[in-house]
Amino acid sequence: MEFDFQHCIRCTVCVANCPVFKVDTNFPGPKQSGPDAERFRSDNEASVDRWVQLCSQCKRCDVACPYGVNPAQIILREQTRYGEGHFRPFAYRLFANNYWLGALNSMIAPVVNLMTPRMFVKRVLHLFGISTSIPLPQYRVHSMNRSWRWKGRRRSRKKVVFFYGCFINYNRPDIGRGVRDLLASLGVRVVIPRQVCCGLPALGNGDIATARKFARKNARILAGYIDRGYDVIYTCTSCGLSLTQDYPGILGVPEGKKISENTYNLHEYILKLVEQEYIKPTFEPLHRKVAYHIPCHLRALGIGYPAVRLFEKIPGLEVHILEDNCCGLAGSYGFKKKHEETSARLCADAVRAIKAVGPDILVSDCGACKMQLGYFSGIPAVDPSEIVRESLRNTREGKRAKGDSRL
Amino acid sequence: MNAIYDVVIIGGGVSGMMAAISLAEKGRKVAVISKGDPVCCFSTGCIDVLADGDDPLKGIGSLPDNHPYHLVGEEAVAHSLELFRGIMSDGGMPYVGEVHANRKVLASLGRCKITCLVPETMAFSAFDPDEYLHVVSFYKMKDFYPQYITSRYANAGYSVFDAQVTTTAGIAEKFENRPFLETFISWLQGLDIPEGRIAIPAVLGRSLAGDVYHEISAGCGRKIFEIPTLPPSMPGLRLFDILKKALLQKGVNLYWGRGIYSVEKLGNQIEAVTLAGAGRATRVEGKAFILASGSFVSGGLHASMDAVTETVFDLPTYLPGGRETWFNDDFFAAGHEIEKAGVRVDSSFRPVDTKIENLYVCGSILAFSEVMKYRCGHGMAIATGVAAAEACGGPV
Ligand SMILES: Cc1cc2nc3c(=O)[nH]c(=O)nc-3n(C[C@H](O)[C@H](O)[C@H](O)COP(=O)(O)OP(=O)(O)OC[C@H]3O[C@@H](n4cnc5c(N)ncnc54)[C@H](O)[C@@H]3O)c2cc1C
Ligand code: SF4
Ligand code: SF4
Ligand code: SF4
Repeated sequence: MEFDFQHCIRCTVCVANCPVFKVDTNFPGPKQSGPDAERFRSDNEASVDRWVQLCSQCKRCDVACPYGVNPAQIILREQTRYGEGHFRPFAYRLFANNYWLGALNSMIAPVVNLMTPRMFVKRVLHLFGISTSIPLPQYRVHSMNRSWRWKGRRRSRKKVVFFYGCFINYNRPDIGRGVRDLLASLGVRVVIPRQVCCGLPALGNGDIATARKFARKNARILAGYIDRGYDVIYTCTSCGLSLTQDYPGILGVPEGKKISENTYNLHEYILKLVEQEYIKPTFEPLHRKVAYHIPCHLRALGIGYPAVRLFEKIPGLEVHILEDNCCGLAGSYGFKKKHEETSARLCADAVRAIKAVGPDILVSDCGACKMQLGYFSGIPAVDPSEIVRESLRNTREGKRAKGDSRL
Repeated sequence: MNAIYDVVIIGGGVSGMMAAISLAEKGRKVAVISKGDPVCCFSTGCIDVLADGDDPLKGIGSLPDNHPYHLVGEEAVAHSLELFRGIMSDGGMPYVGEVHANRKVLASLGRCKITCLVPETMAFSAFDPDEYLHVVSFYKMKDFYPQYITSRYANAGYSVFDAQVTTTAGIAEKFENRPFLETFISWLQGLDIPEGRIAIPAVLGRSLAGDVYHEISAGCGRKIFEIPTLPPSMPGLRLFDILKKALLQKGVNLYWGRGIYSVEKLGNQIEAVTLAGAGRATRVEGKAFILASGSFVSGGLHASMDAVTETVFDLPTYLPGGRETWFNDDFFAAGHEIEKAGVRVDSSFRPVDTKIENLYVCGSILAFSEVMKYRCGHGMAIATGVAAAEACGGPV
């Protein structure tokens, strides 16, 4: 994505959209941290803008700015510059490497899950700058990395490689397996190669070197499949953003452009199958009232809300779209002790909006949103793919997609 | 392949959103594409219809023949404003005023602005200068100085509340939390001030502003009103939020944050547009298209040294003359010639001098609208948006 601070007309539209600015008086907001301060920055001078770390990289400012300035991109670059020049506290290092953390934790999942709620563990976590106002994610032993690596006919005309991301991998592999089964039932060949974290957490925690290392590794794997006629599918919208924007952009991965051009959001891909008349699925009614919390990074992808267009085909489903609030967790942002208050206040706004709808279930593509909002609203939080799968499960296309579902 | 949308609207301003809502209400499948947030976000939220004279609708008759209001007609303008009012009431921020009467609202520099429909938080803004006026300000709040107002009125005073934050967005967020709201109300109750009205800068919440306003009014038992501020302007943002929410509720699909990268045509029909952005282009197909991309501020029009271009379809534009005729010598005078620049349309809002058949145009991008001169901003956007939707609703 291009960005140019000189195009800023100081209209403050970005400021009006910044969730952090509205609750954290220490953060000068996207206009001042982005285009305004950019005028005084130089590659020859070390970064001194400590407060750029307060930006959660939700990218709401980029979406709102009518003049193509993209303040979040400017801030992101400064965050990595700041990260390179300064000591990064423990919490930043930990979350930058959440992939290895996840790998370790899921090996010893039962122990970790038992330990994290304990009081003394919480004290230790606080000491290291980690918030415990929401339970740390629960880890699963049977992560995607160990599960079945392909499904669907080998000679199928439609072939995809599934980039599942860390949340599905370590915390909710059932969603990942559901996606795999859903696609296979729609006549799509799915492969799930070994892969690592997309790199977004490392980037968000100021560690661009690690982010690049992860990205290069994934890029080689994914590009190999693309060359053999596969498309890349993601469900986590933050992974999607990283693959399509950061790989060719700030991470400068050689295969970045190829990946960005061949990567699809799951629901976007299913819609494409429908529009190309590759499938003619019959959606079964689901009589539910759903609050769909749109993740910030789905907005930032600029592809519209493809899952909504699938939901529209499901008779009986009452969908309320909520797109004005950030859940406040923002990946690892809200897990840091110093962002605890910001995160809690943003979450309270989002939960209020959800409760005003009075839904049976809460839907969001983003793992962090599901964790944060599900926990604080007490309303079951599911992935949009679980709804689509539920509606298709008894149809001709969906009959092989049966399996566990939490609905 | 069948077109996904009946109508694709380019531009998510007041005009495009009103067009989208009226088409969706008729059961059409609609998409709105917008590069970014529109001009109404930094407006006062008040609906200017036509500032000259007491009755803005009567004034339409005396506008130049080529003004877009004539394409709509007095009755349809009134009808579209009522449609707008209905949407705002449903969204929790009713608009007061009468479409046949202009009214005044107090602005932050102490002068009054002439407008037509206003959010209910400004209902009591038209006050009698002899009546006592008390202005409430916030400690170190940016760009709001109560003295500007009190110095203009003999019978006025002010007090300052410390909200612990100094930005409009920050204070508005605080008002949506009960303990803060209650502290503020009891502070107001404790003020020893004469009978009269209380004016507060427009920071009384964003999504919950209606409730916040009513609680404060009830709490202190006085006539309270908001004074629109410099941007970020809460009343403008509320207007935007409510229209956008109405779009989503009516099943309109949004594509936000991306401009148009390319246009696909087949003969005289536009088939699809693709969105600019990293990676594979997102393609949006429609049977008809409405262009509501705004004027120079929003980038719907672009001026170079000697030409004005329309940025999406490269439609022919009207240009008043050579660059030397574009501006008045007096910068602050109403009505620079360049304001007349824009896209000319026929009586059914289709651009003239082009072969494209399924394209309609509305809002401030229209030639001869002269929004600043006539002060007809949101009113003209609403009226032409609804009318263009009507014109294209027939064919699709
Ligand atoms: C500072 C200011 C204050 C104002 N205050 C008031 C007021 O208080 N009351 C009043 O009645 N009027 C006011 N006006 C006038 C009024 O706001 C506008 O005339 C009116 O809202 C215009 O609406 P619109 O829908 O035509 O265009 P806009 O609001 O300009 O919307 C156009 C939209 O199109 C998008 N767009 C542009 N190009 C592209 C592209 N290539 N692809 C996709 N999307 C694109 C833009 O991002 C924007 O969202 C004000 C104007 C200004 C500049
Ligand atoms: S960055 Fe964009 S939205 Fe923010 S003030 Fe500048 S022009 Fe406006
Ligand atoms: S990315 Fe989000 S948190 Fe950061 S400046 Fe932009 S709007 Fe604010
Ligand atoms: S977790 Fe979801 S809502 Fe929260 S910042 Fe990330 S994308 Fe936005």
